[in-house]
Amino acid sequence: MKLRSKFEKDGDLKFISHLDLMRAIERAMRRAQIKFSLSKGFNPHPLLSFGPALMMGATTHGDYFDVVLEDEIDPEKFKDDMNRTLPNGLKIIDCYRVDDKDLLSDRVVEGEYTIIIDLLDYGKDMGDIIERFLNKDEILAEKDTKSGKKMIDLKKYIEEFKILSVHDGKINLYLRLKISEGSPGPIHVLKALDDFAGHVFDLEKILIDRKKLILN
Amino acid sequence: MLDIKDKLDKILMKVSKPARYIGGEINSVIKDVNSVDIRFAFAFPDVYEVGMSHLGLKILYHLMNDRDDTYCERVFAPWVDMENLMRENDIPLFSLETKTPLNMFDIIGFTLQYELSYTNILNMLDLSKIPVRSKDRHGYPLIIAGGPCAYNPAPLSDVVDLFVIGDGEEIINELLDLVKACKKDGAPKEVLLRRASKIQGVYVPSFYREVYNCDNTIRTIEPLNEDVPAKVKKRVVKDLDKTYHPDRQIVPFINTVHDRIILEVFRGCTRGCRFCQAGMIYRPVRERSKKTLLKLADKLIKSTGYEEISLTSLSTCDYSEIESLIYDLIEKYKDRGIGVALPSTRIDAFSVNLLNEIQKVRKTGLTLAPEAGTQRLRDVINKGVTERDLINSTREAFKAGWRSVKLYFMLGLPKETMEDVKGISDLAHLVADVYKDVNGNTKGLKITVSTSTFVPKPFTPFQWCPQDDMDTIIKKQNYLKELLKGKIFHYNWHEPKMSFLEAVISKGDRRVGQALIKAWESGCKFDGWDEFFKFDNWLKAFESVGIDPRFYAYKERDFKEIFPWDVIDAGVKKDYLVREYKKALEGRLTNDCRLYCTGCGIKDLDEGVVCFETEK
Repeated sequence: MKLRSKFEKDGDLKFISHLDLMRAIERAMRRAQIKFSLSKGFNPHPLLSFGPALMMGATTHGDYFDVVLEDEIDPEKFKDDMNRTLPNGLKIIDCYRVDDKDLLSDRVVEGEYTIIIDLLDYGKDMGDIIERFLNKDEILAEKDTKSGKKMIDLKKYIEEFKILSVHDGKINLYLRLKISEGSPGPIHVLKALDDFAGHVFDLEKILIDRKKLILN
Repeated sequence: MLDIKDKLDKILMKVSKPARYIGGEINSVIKDVNSVDIRFAFAFPDVYEVGMSHLGLKILYHLMNDRDDTYCERVFAPWVDMENLMRENDIPLFSLETKTPLNMFDIIGFTLQYELSYTNILNMLDLSKIPVRSKDRHGYPLIIAGGPCAYNPAPLSDVVDLFVIGDGEEIINELLDLVKACKKDGAPKEVLLRRASKIQGVYVPSFYREVYNCDNTIRTIEPLNEDVPAKVKKRVVKDLDKTYHPDRQIVPFINTVHDRIILEVFRGCTRGCRFCQAGMIYRPVRERSKKTLLKLADKLIKSTGYEEISLTSLSTCDYSEIESLIYDLIEKYKDRGIGVALPSTRIDAFSVNLLNEIQKVRKTGLTLAPEAGTQRLRDVINKGVTERDLINSTREAFKAGWRSVKLYFMLGLPKETMEDVKGISDLAHLVADVYKDVNGNTKGLKITVSTSTFVPKPFTPFQWCPQDDMDTIIKKQNYLKELLKGKIFHYNWHEPKMSFLEAVISKGDRRVGQALIKAWESGCKFDGWDEFFKFDNWLKAFESVGIDPRFYAYKERDFKEIFPWDVIDAGVKKDYLVREYKKALEGRLTNDCRLYCTGCGIKDLDEGVVCFETEK
């Protein structure tokens, strides 16, 4: 059977990579004595799949992973057993059964983010800047891919982008992005906006939280 | 402390592998710091991934934390990017568990695993705002050190307050009790050290003085007080089967060097290879019973969730019940995809059969260590393996489907000639021929030949031997590079300058220790890492304290000479080492002492010290 779990990664665990996260989940399943299915081959590993990787330093409150299990197990029990043994900072918030053919990668369509950044320049009207930014014909940004740097048009991916609040020299933003093969992350949008606005952000002091992945 | 946590959050975004510094791993221990009497920082003078692979840390961390009155936390050397940001932001070195600055601990215990980590010890003290010289420190923290390199405590004698010689788990509880009592009484450090020096296995360097002859050899190591022992006897765990082995281990978030369960099957080694310090200082051989090991394995698997369990020792295939132990583990856990790993493999067909068994769950590499290229030289070092062993085991391995082999050798062994060096290449070619014989061609074959450089170590039969000079080593390495050409072969070698420095420090006296401090002051750290190794700074440091490093590494020593480490009694007697050295020069073998006692002297160390042979 295949279970889909919605989880949080928070606190200091924002500093672990996607690969570290996968290992942490695998080992937690072993500690929880969950009988998961193994791949065939020289180095058997669990049949685990995750949504798009989160950048190092970002938290999430709604990412997903799928796992194929040997035995039938109540999703609630899976959730509780896992939560008892997951390290602080990782928590499963929801778990349900899905069809074996249901692929997480086919389901993830959007990501919702909140972002807090230190402002370097308080004088500018950020609302106006973001409006003009979004009204450009195209928003080009450079993205590292496996085959080197590539220019992409961010505009095709930005579904929603707005200011939630500005106070204490910090700006709080909301961003919803389309997710597909090779799609950009929030950091690409922020850098492009920062360039457009003439460097208003302290990009070293930036907190990104993926509020949730949106499945179709 | 909150201050450190706040500052950390900001700088961790900017460093490589920030998870090195966050703690919070499964099975790491969180205690209320106000509820304990002693706070102990276990310090590993290298980066997290290296330190977290270390068995001693795993044992002592949980052993100490099982005491209600003690809280043991961990600290590692921050990588240079982190160090720079810490210094810039005025963040002192802190423990991973509670982010407490190190200077607030009662005891900081360094483990000495290799000499080229010593500058990191100084750097870690400095990052903690603790003076590096013990004479400049008053009160706590007490700086202690143990581990294999503590057997020659001389180079760190100006830095460390006390050394723990031998098996740490045997001694640490007594030391913690003493520190607790002294803290309660408000006893000054001097009194604490005086009382500690009465514990067997504790060496307090400030109570001794090295006196030199005009030829720079040591005339005497003089106790400065009447009530300290003339020789400090190591401590050994007598019954390993009944001795503490943790049933849980910290599970790091990031990949470490040995990222698996480490289960210690036995301690010590009976083979008697003459270059091997571990084989001498960890005597006698003490095994854990299969029953105990299976029970521990089960608990460790449950508590860690690891997918692999490594059976650790100096020569795991020598374990009395190795075959059935491996078979039982594989049978029990294979359905869950949990594999078994052997860290070191002896060269015989038997070992390959074991690997075949292991292979059923997880594919492993094949690493064999003939150590020397010719039978003559293997007899000199008492490595009791033959060309026939190598042919048989690689044949079995190739038949079973292995395509790559790693072969480990040492260059610069005593009495080595260019013919012996060529022998290394000959063996590699022989292995290629075996592959061709099995598979019809050499398609897919990869043979990796690695040579380290021989470093004469204290308490080995080769402690009197000179090291090959760097030019000779380079010549030998270049010769091998020439001989090991072609697609099949890959040749790795060690930086000769590092091996030279390792020899100087491992045989060094207290004057080398002064140079160590100078070298660190001039910017040396992470000396074992190519990108940071500053050989010229070291040479200047030696010059500035007026010593010639070549004296330590290259001089053939006299049997009558007093060594800096002669203040330590490692159990193995000097006359045994002399005997073994003489036999080496004659190319005569000594049997494995599982067969019968070779008279090394370890049984006379203490009452109740039993080694494998007497047990039978």
